[in-house]
This record gives sequence, C-alpha cells and structure tokens, in this order.
Amino acid sequence: MGRQIEIKGNRDGLLIRVTDHPDFAVYEGLRRELDKKRDFLQGSRIALEIGRRPMNDEQLAGLQALFDDQGLTLWAVIADDSETREKAREIGLATRLSGSATDLEGNAMATVPNGKDSGTKELPVANALFLHETVRSGRSVVHEGHVIILGDVNPGAQVIATGNVVVWGRLRGMVHAGAGGDSAAMICALDLNPTQLRIGDQIAVAPDDSHAASVPEQASVRDGQIVAEPWRH
Amino acid sequence: MSAQILTITSGKGGVGKTTVAANLAAALAMMGKRVVAIDADIGLRNLDVVMGLENRIVYDLVDVVEGRCRLRQAMIKDKRQPELYLIPAAQTRDKNAVSPSDMVLICDQLREEMDYVIIDSPAGIERGFRNAVAPADKVLVVTNPEVSAVRDADRIIGLIEAEEKGPGQLILNRVKPAMVGRGDMLSVDDVLDILAVELLGVIPEDERILVASNQGLPLVMHGVNGASAGEAFRNVARRLEGEDVPFVELVQKQTFMSRLRALMNGQ
Repeated sequence: MGRQIEIKGNRDGLLIRVTDHPDFAVYEGLRRELDKKRDFLQGSRIALEIGRRPMNDEQLAGLQALFDDQGLTLWAVIADDSETREKAREIGLATRLSGSATDLEGNAMATVPNGKDSGTKELPVANALFLHETVRSGRSVVHEGHVIILGDVNPGAQVIATGNVVVWGRLRGMVHAGAGGDSAAMICALDLNPTQLRIGDQIAVAPDDSHAASVPEQASVRDGQIVAEPWRH
Repeated sequence: MSAQILTITSGKGGVGKTTVAANLAAALAMMGKRVVAIDADIGLRNLDVVMGLENRIVYDLVDVVEGRCRLRQAMIKDKRQPELYLIPAAQTRDKNAVSPSDMVLICDQLREEMDYVIIDSPAGIERGFRNAVAPADKVLVVTNPEVSAVRDADRIIGLIEAEEKGPGQLILNRVKPAMVGRGDMLSVDDVLDILAVELLGVIPEDERILVASNQGLPLVMHGVNGASAGEAFRNVARRLEGEDVPFVELVQKQTFMSRLRALMNGQ
C-alpha cells in the first residue's frame, strides 16, 4: 500500500493528496499529519485532492474546520466525483487548480502527484476565451485556457489553446488543443472538417475522402492517435 | 449629396478587380451618375488601359499627393461618358508614394462633386491595399470560384473587418455555369458558405470581357444587350443604387431524374 497522504508544493500553495481507499480514515489521518507537520505547513493555502471518495457538504465543512483549527486555509477540494465537486462549490471551495495544466511553453504549472486523475485537468472557467465571430484566413487565436468560438473557423485560420476548443460552427482551419502537451484536451465542432487537428503532441490530417455527414463531432486522443467521433453527451 | 466611396479589392491578383472597377464605373456613369475611378495600383497601373484613356494621362495620383497639380487636373474625362473620370496611378513610383491619409484627403475633396468614387486596389495586403481601403465607405471584394482566390478573399474580409470597414460585399467573377453544373467548380453557395458575406453580384465568364479590355472599352459600354457579363455588371450597379435586382439563376439544376434521363439517352 502506497503512502496515504502526500504533500506537494505548487504555484498556488500546497496540494495534499489523500488516498481514496475506503478503509482510510480521512479525518484522523489528516489531523495526525497536520499536527506532525504543523511548523512546515504554517499559514499555507491548501488544496486537497480526495480522489474518488464521495463527500457530502457536512463532511466537506468538517474538512474545512479541520484545516481552520490548524490555522490553515483550505481553498480547493479536487474530487473525481461530480456531486462532491458541486457540494464543494456550494460552500465556496474551488474545485480546480488555478491556471492551466501546462502553459504555452509546456511547463507544468499545476501538477497533480498522481497523473491518473482526469478531474483536475479542467481549467477554471475564467480562463476561457469566448469569441462570437468568424475566424477568417490569416487570423491566429492563441490563448492559455479554453477557447469557445461561436462562428466558423475558416481554412487558413488557426486556433491554439492550452485547454479545449469548442467551435459552435464549421471548423475548417487548424486547431491545436492542449498546446503545451495536454493530450487529454479535446476539440468539438458542429461541423468538424479541419485542414489539420493537433491535440497535445499529436497531429492529424483530415482524411482525403472528406466526410459526408455533417454532424457535431468531437476529437480526442485515444491510444496515441487523434480520433474524431460523433458528439454524444 | 455626398459621394459614396467604394473600394474594389481581392487579395489575390488576376481575379478581375480592374475589370470590375472599369465596368462598374462605366455602368454607374451610364445610369447618369457622376463617377470617378481611382487607380490605387501605383507602379502597376492598368485601369487607364482597360478604360482606354492611357494616352490622355498628363498628371497622376502621385502628382496630386505631391502637389504638382490640382486634383481637377489629374481627373481624366472619359471619351464616351460625360460624367465619368479617371485618376490614374503613377507608373514610375511605388506604393509608398501615397499614404492612407493622402487617400482619405483626396476622397474627401471628391465627395462633394461626385456620386461615386471607385477605387481599384492593388493585389496583396500591404501598403497599397491599406491606401485603397482607408477612405472606403464600402468595400467590394472580388473573387473567383477557386479555392485559392476564396482563401485570399477570406483573409481580405478579415482585414477589412479589422479596419472597421464592415464585412464588405462580394462580387463573384468568372463563374462558368457549365462547370458548376458538372460539379467541377465551386458554386455560388459553396463560396458564400465559406465567406458568409452579402453577395452583390455574380459575373459569368465571358470571352468578350478580354476583347473589351484590350480595346479599352468596358464591356458595359458595348451596348450589346443580352451580353451576360455586361448585364451582370449593370445589375451590380443597380443593386448599389438600392434596386432589388434578383440574381439570375446561372446553373441549370441537375436533378437526379434529369441525370437519369440523360444517362438513358446515352448522353
């Protein structure tokens, strides 16, 4: 059995990850750990990663109190469980680390100790760029975060984002999502017919037999390849 | 009454900017409008040739800008239309001889005396293009139904929007209805699908355009009725005047049944 509590520094303060093994007593374990490292932790801002463990609002409030008692600020709870995330938001906790997973140069900005979780890959909503226009040939939209375009992306135009890219229109230009290396990023479009797609480090070219059906599609990396499939929720 | 300033541009060369400028100027003049065409393609002037006024040039646009003559002196009166003028480009200079603000200044002077000022832009997106677009009230983007021309038109429309000159209006030139019918050429809908701007005119391919240009007599002045390209230019002029002129259906729509019938008849 691996370590039950890991503490790591990041740009936003400290990230504490607790195992989501059901037998692990979170409160007891955390209290002991915080007591032990009181001097080291003094006054820190803490983000807590709880993995798949579901928690209700009472339990989350209990966590908050636990940190308060130690003079620490719990500002974020990162959970895989969407209901838990919602509850956390309700009591004023962030549910994502600020900044994108990687910046445009590809440097990790907020790393998660255990890379298997996808819940932390989401970027803050404030980090999304919304464009209500047609991105025409020669335009280059570069953004650290998500990009949402209400309009077409025409051939000869390019959109580069560290996060996801959603095109509510026809995508016929070049889009690079997850620029900086996030291969979990995805690209959605009402009509996905790009000259080229890039996700993370992968590059895909549209097949020569340009698709016939114009249905909303999403592209993501699967088994090291960019695949496009009809969008479903 | 203040003139409307129209700039005709395309990004790509050879799509027919100068032809459109000459024919549109002539068509508007034939409707009784006072029109001046300005050739902004300094160093590569053509509009004077197409309009058949080359041998009358004394002063040009650069002479006006540099104060060697008054604006009136550089305005060449057309041979056929009393209210049609041309301000030619200088052939021996380059685009940098004129600035965007010079163009604005000149067009402001023309506003009071004219109904239309039509500026023929050079190809490209550099200084010459910016000179041509700076004074424009409305930009007419000319393109051909081919992928590269449409791509450039898209770029140009983006630049026009950035200059806050509106999205521009589109003139689709050199359409070959037969090829479109066979599916070998982009159709009007295909082009509009990408560019998503207002369509002002569709000009069919017409051999007489070339002949007319070589003669220095814009096709609309030939007086041939039913000349399809000439008619199309006249329609553009009427639309500019606010008339609601329906677009002529160029392509005979091939339905599945008609294709089947053609197949059975061995065609």
